[in-house]
Amino acid sequence: MEQQAWVRQYAFTFDSSSCTGCKACQVACKDKHDLPVDILWRRVYEVTGGTWKKEGGVWVPAVLSYYLSMACHHCQKPICGEACPTQAIYKRDDGIVMLETLACIGCRYCEWACPYGAIQFDPASRVVTKCHFCYDYLALGEPPACVAACPMRALDFGDLSELRKKYAGTREIFPLPEASLTEPALIIKPHRDAARASKDTAEVANWEEI
Amino acid sequence: MSLTAAKEWPLIAFTLLSQIAVGAFWTLAAATLFSWEARVRGENEFLVLPGLVIVAALLVAAAALSFFHLGRPKRAVLVLANLRTSWLSREILFELAFLAMVVLLAFFSWRRAERTALVQGAYILASLFGALFLYSMSRLYMLRTVPAWHGLYTPLSFFLSALLLGPLAAAAGQKRLFTFPERAYAFQDVVGVSALAAVALIVLVILLFTPRIGFLRTKTATLLEFPARRMYPFLVFRLLFLAAAVFFIVLYHDVERGALMTLAFVSAGAAEILGRYLFYAVYSRLGV
Repeated sequence: MEQQAWVRQYAFTFDSSSCTGCKACQVACKDKHDLPVDILWRRVYEVTGGTWKKEGGVWVPAVLSYYLSMACHHCQKPICGEACPTQAIYKRDDGIVMLETLACIGCRYCEWACPYGAIQFDPASRVVTKCHFCYDYLALGEPPACVAACPMRALDFGDLSELRKKYAGTREIFPLPEASLTEPALIIKPHRDAARASKDTAEVANWEEI
Repeated sequence: MSLTAAKEWPLIAFTLLSQIAVGAFWTLAAATLFSWEARVRGENEFLVLPGLVIVAALLVAAAALSFFHLGRPKRAVLVLANLRTSWLSREILFELAFLAMVVLLAFFSWRRAERTALVQGAYILASLFGALFLYSMSRLYMLRTVPAWHGLYTPLSFFLSALLLGPLAAAAGQKRLFTFPERAYAFQDVVGVSALAAVALIVLVILLFTPRIGFLRTKTATLLEFPARRMYPFLVFRLLFLAAAVFFIVLYHDVERGALMTLAFVSAGAAEILGRYLFYAVYSRLGV
């Protein structure tokens, strides 16, 4: 998709039902931006849960597992930008939430606030970092690195209003917060297990990786 | 990605020292505006000069320590750039306004200014800036994505720390403030009563609000990084230190020994350090 002048709000879509958790998106992002160890602008969360369930006289496994590929959702109400004391975080006309690292004082207030873990502190540069939607690729008419890398085509991007016509989905899926907190520019096609996740005390199983 | 209290010592120091400074100033302002001695002798302003200098020094020290929290402290001058939405910008603005007023009042005291309406108005304005400083400091933490901080516990604990530690700090140094014993005794009464009231309110806040922080887990919240059971030793020791502070305050009132007020301040300070450590330790945001 080429960068279009009419884009009001760039957004990602993610199809959790087709994601295999290969983490190609995560690796492509890390490679493209040459991110240091411990910094992941796109992260793949492994959500697992469930237990044994008695059916008749037999105990059967009733477990669940799915993946979530999450980056900055370039929220329409970006709490990171509200919190930032230096206006280092701002929203472009096309909806991309940008970070001006030269204006960052490293107070990490934005990192406290973001409910998607999108803002990450880089100990080497002493400032925070975040996904910028590969705006440089967009300018060349190319998709963001993560979208291009996904072998399952589980990721897509575009203008939020156009994507809403194309995809049905949600913005709230375990373990993400209520969308009204920040109005993320995001559409998720949930995995079939997602509805059970919060009831069955599912957890993110790979915290050590992300 | 996680934030731990161990990394937040500069903020623990900044918040507590700032709250001591504001609380101590309120005490000095009350002693000046409603003072038993100023009315009688008309000379109080000069006597609060050491107190005002100490308040200003505390504010500067707090700000200096907060720089250790910043990744890029040399850029700190940019911190006022987002007054429109950022409570951190507003906090620093009100801190600077408060500091400026304290310095101005110290100048008035140094010049032995008369207790005019202008000076009294300056005390009131400075007190207001101090309150706004603490209010914006608490609002900074009341992020809607951090339920443990997004509640009454945050502003109540910040203001009560000021109302407990500030008067005790002023009382601990009261020999520098008062020349005549009868003034010190009257001051001691006021400080003792206000400190005891603050302790009572802090205990109430601990009982009503702290457990909810520990046991919080909404359906979409991440796991607490600080397990609830680990909170109890902190809570118990905090209450013990508060009890020790009450003991010293009561004893002080009876025997009129200044060192006991210093002990009360140290005990209460230890209690508030534990409370503030816990405050940062229970950080856990919604989402991932």
